[in-house]
Amino acid sequence: MSLTNTINRSAITLLLLFLSLFVSLPSNGEDKPAAGAAGADPAKVAEGAKLFEANCKACHAVHDVVVGPALKDVNKRRPIGWIVNFVHNSQKVIASGDPYAVELYNKFGKTEMKSFPELSEDQIKSIVAYIVDEGGKKVDVGPKPPVDGQPQSEAKDEGGYSGIILILIIIVLVLVLVMLVVFLSVLKRYLKDKEEKLAESDREIVNQKFDVLKVIKSKGFLSIVGIIFVSLALRACWNNMFYVGVDQGYAPIQPIPFSHKLHAGQYKIDCNYCHTGVTKGKQANIPSLNICMNCHSQIKSGPRFGQDGIAKVIDAYNSNKPVKWVRVHNLPDLAYFNHAQHVKVGGIECKTCHGQIDTMEVVRQHSPLTMGWCINCHRETAVNGKDNAYYDKLLELHSKKGPLKVAENGGLECAKCHY
Amino acid sequence: MRNAYKYTYIFLILTVILSSCVDQKKFENIGTHEKPNVEFAPNMYHSLAYEPLTQITDTEAGLWLNSNDSDTGEFFNSNPYNPHKMNMRDPAAHTVRFNSDGFLPYRLPKDCLDYAARTLVNPLKINDKTIEDGKILYTKFCAHCHGETGQGDGPVNDAFKGVANLTTGSVKDATPGHIFHVITWGKGRMGAHGSQLNQEERWKIVSYVKENLQKAEAQQ
Repeated sequence: MSLTNTINRSAITLLLLFLSLFVSLPSNGEDKPAAGAAGADPAKVAEGAKLFEANCKACHAVHDVVVGPALKDVNKRRPIGWIVNFVHNSQKVIASGDPYAVELYNKFGKTEMKSFPELSEDQIKSIVAYIVDEGGKKVDVGPKPPVDGQPQSEAKDEGGYSGIILILIIIVLVLVLVMLVVFLSVLKRYLKDKEEKLAESDREIVNQKFDVLKVIKSKGFLSIVGIIFVSLALRACWNNMFYVGVDQGYAPIQPIPFSHKLHAGQYKIDCNYCHTGVTKGKQANIPSLNICMNCHSQIKSGPRFGQDGIAKVIDAYNSNKPVKWVRVHNLPDLAYFNHAQHVKVGGIECKTCHGQIDTMEVVRQHSPLTMGWCINCHRETAVNGKDNAYYDKLLELHSKKGPLKVAENGGLECAKCHY
Repeated sequence: MRNAYKYTYIFLILTVILSSCVDQKKFENIGTHEKPNVEFAPNMYHSLAYEPLTQITDTEAGLWLNSNDSDTGEFFNSNPYNPHKMNMRDPAAHTVRFNSDGFLPYRLPKDCLDYAARTLVNPLKINDKTIEDGKILYTKFCAHCHGETGQGDGPVNDAFKGVANLTTGSVKDATPGHIFHVITWGKGRMGAHGSQLNQEERWKIVSYVKENLQKAEAQQ
C-alpha cells in the first residue's frame, strides 16, 4: 500500500514539474507586451484610458466586439473628424445618410449609441490615442490551461516518512528470517553427523519431517484461521454499518459539468445570486435556466469544456426543457430542515455546513448530515439575537448564565425537526 | 464442550480488539463517491408528497417495499399531469399572490423603459435600514458584475465585457424608476433579475445605488 503510494506521489510530482516546465517556457517569451504605438504621449494615453473606463467601457472593448464594435484600429478605419462627430451625436451622423454609419447601425441591430456632447474634441482624441496604444498590445490567447487542476491538497506529509520506516522494518525482518533459516539448516547438518551418539527421543526430533498438510488439517490451525476470518468479516460489517444512511463525500456526476470553483471562486458570484430561496424558504433552490442565461446569453465559451458545456445550458433554455440536476444533499423526509431559519435568522454561513464550495470543481457533500451532527451544532451555537427584537427579552433573562445556546431554546426538542 | 467455550471467548476478545481499531475520525476521511450509500429506512427517507427539488419520475422505483395502495412505487413522487412531470408550476395566469409586503405584480413590460423611468416612484422610505439592506442585496446580486463601488469592475466583467459603470454617464442621471425597470427586465447585455429579487428588494437596491454609490462618487 504505502510503497505504491510513495511511487504514485513521486510520479505525480515529476509529472507536475514536467508540466509546469512546459507551461512556463513559452509564456516567458511572450508575456512582454509589444510597445504601444510609437510617439504616443503617455499623459494623453493615461487620460484617454480614464475617459474610456468612464464612458465607453460599458459597450465597447478594444479587442472584442461587445455591445458595439471592437475599437482596435478605429483610427485607420475612419478619419478623426468622423469619429468626433459620431461620438458627439451618432444619430445625427446616421440621419445624414453617411453610408458607413448606416451600415454600422444596421449591423449592430439598430442599437443607438448614446451621444456624448460633453466630451471635447481633445478628449476624444486622447481616447483614440488610448485605443491605438491598447490596440498595439498583444491579447492573451484564450484562457490559461488549468495547471493547478490536479487535486494535490489531500496528500499527507507524514505519509512518505512512515512508508520508508515500514519498508526498512520489512527488509530487516526478511533478513532476520533468512538468517534463522540458514542457522537452522547448519545446526541440523551438524547434528546429523553425530546421529549415533544421540538418544532415541532426540533422534526423532532431528529426523522429523515438517508435514504442511498435517498442520493445515489440524484442529487448532483451522480454528485459529476460522476465528480470524470471522472476526475480520464482523469488523468489516460493523464498520460499514456506520455508513448506512450517511452520504458524506457524495459527489454525483451532473448532466452539465457546472463548476462552483469557477463561478463562486474565481468570479465571486454570491451563493444567493443563484440559490435565491436560501433566505426566503425551506429550500435554497437550484437556479432555473433563466438565471444561467443572465450571463450565458453573452458568455458562450468556458475555460474547461469550451463551447460544449455552455451549449447544453443554452440548448436546454431554448428548447424549454428542465435540466435534470442530481440532488447532492438528501436529508431524509423524516427530518425537517429550513434554510431561511438558519441563514436569515441564525446568520449561519453557507460554508459552515457545505464546506468550501468555492474550491470544488464537483460539489461534494461536506457534512455527514447525521442527527448527531445537527445536535452537536445546536449545543455549541449561541442564539443569534442581533437586530432581532424577538429575542431581546429572552436573551436578557439568560444573560447571567452566559450566551444562550440553541439547545436551551428548544433546539434539542424532538418535535423541532421530526413531525 | 469446554473447547467450545474457550473458542467463543477467544473469538469475542478478538472481535472486540479488532473493532476497537476503528478510526475515530473516519467520517472526515470518507472518500468521494459518485453513488449514494445504502439507506437505513427507505420508506421514511422518501417523501410521498411532491417535493420541489426531489423528483423521481420512475414509476417502478421502490415498488419492492410499497406500504400504500397505489400502483406506483413507494418512491415515485412526480406529478404526471405537469409538463416534464415536474412538481413545480407557475401560478395560474391572471392571479395575484396575497401577501403582506403590499406590492401588486409589476405589470410594465420590457419596452416601457421610458414610461417607467418617468412615472415610477420609490415606495420605500429612505433611511439607514433601507440603505443597509440595499447594500447587502447589492453585494449579493450586483457586485460581481458592477463592482463593489459600482464602477463596472466586478470579477465577472473579465469574461462578460460591457458592464455599465453606475457612477458615470447616463446611469448616474437615471431616475430610480429607470434603474428599477432595468433590474426587473434587463437592458442591453444585462439579463432580467425580476425572478431573483422581489419588488421590495429591487427598490432597496435602487435606494442604495442612488443614495450611496452615485452620491459617494459625486463627493469625491
